[in-house]
Amino acid sequence: MAEMDDRRGAVLAEIPRLRRYARALLRDRDAADDLVQDCLERALTRLDNWRTGESPRRWLFTIMHHLFVDQLRKVKRTAEVIAFSADAQPEAVEQASQVDAVATREIMDALQKISPDRRAAIVLVAVEGFSYAEAANILGVPAGTLMSRIARGRDDLRALLDGGAPRPMIRVVDR
Amino acid sequence: MTARDYSVRDIHLSLDGELPADERADFDHWLDANPDMKALSARYEADRDRLAAALADVAEEAVPERLASLLAGGGQASRRRAAWWQAAAAALLLAVGAAGGYMAGLAGLGFDRAGEDLAAQAIAAHRTFTPATDHVVEVAANGDGYLKTWLSSQVGLTLVLPDLTGEGYELLGGRIIPAEDGPAALLVYQNSKGDRISIYMTAASTTKARGLYGEHEGTTKAIYWLDPGYGCAVVSDLPEDQMRPVARDAWRQMVDGLNL
Repeated sequence: MAEMDDRRGAVLAEIPRLRRYARALLRDRDAADDLVQDCLERALTRLDNWRTGESPRRWLFTIMHHLFVDQLRKVKRTAEVIAFSADAQPEAVEQASQVDAVATREIMDALQKISPDRRAAIVLVAVEGFSYAEAANILGVPAGTLMSRIARGRDDLRALLDGGAPRPMIRVVDR
Repeated sequence: MTARDYSVRDIHLSLDGELPADERADFDHWLDANPDMKALSARYEADRDRLAAALADVAEEAVPERLASLLAGGGQASRRRAAWWQAAAAALLLAVGAAGGYMAGLAGLGFDRAGEDLAAQAIAAHRTFTPATDHVVEVAANGDGYLKTWLSSQVGLTLVLPDLTGEGYELLGGRIIPAEDGPAALLVYQNSKGDRISIYMTAASTTKARGLYGEHEGTTKAIYWLDPGYGCAVVSDLPEDQMRPVARDAWRQMVDGLNL
């Protein structure tokens, strides 16, 4: 029982990071916390699979990534191609207490406009500090794929931040 | 060591801490010798720092109770979060009496503007087409699947046309209508009393939102849900308590259909 409590404590300690990653993926606060909640619920049913002594971080991020991909897949199934136009991007309504600086909003908006694959790759490495090997493992892709997603994602972000010019884009799944 | 040719790829490796330590100095010389590359590296780094700064606060926020309580629960079945229509109903309660109508109440709760935009377009379509006696729909529903195929091809989505006969509503048919961000499909249903409900569906959604929208109490209302790549609103002039079960039924069928 004490061991179980240790595991729960270790999972609890990862929640702030999971919330940050989810917010980066989804932007919307409630949707992001829903994703974290789903992740924690799934993790709790699988606590036995997690070896004591191993950091739960990678394990939890992998679970969350699978949930995120499932969610995207459900949406993708509804569409052959999903055409996004930048000017249709909604302005997220933030809670009044939150001061969302323009610079913050710009980069968060830009992040939402790049493909989810590229978004996840960049955030795992550049924000969450995972190595390429760890991030590739979490995302279930070869390291080369991860690298190309990071490189393309950074170029996408740069172009969005520079131009802000609406450019229709067809989401193409990176292979 | 042997100097090698560096490229943009190495800029990413360097930024992400993946460049081998023994190549570091050589890489820095290469950057110094290539101002374009140095500028690009600085730019990527600035964007990275900006992104990290934008997200830094999230990790500092107090963990919401609903998440922390999961871990404290001692393995008990976890609390399910409220279904979207419960959230919509709560928003309605808060909005009653507010001078600005539902819109103010929903906005105050952080509902997304995109949902309201979609709902407003759906209501406009409902008001335009459902009062008509002739040509309510472009293509009638005759059970051969043509309506579904046609609407799906126009909208660019494989649509689910909910069967609402359980709620007493027959599908009359559908039409394609122009919307701000591309074509939308409008389905029109009617019950034996002649009440009409419409369902508005579009592929032009980039966000996730759920809510109830109406300009004033007692007028046409829309219950909407959006996900990236898919947006939908059920619209009617019915009182909310009659409208909600119909919307819920439609929503369930669409969720089930889309998950297949």
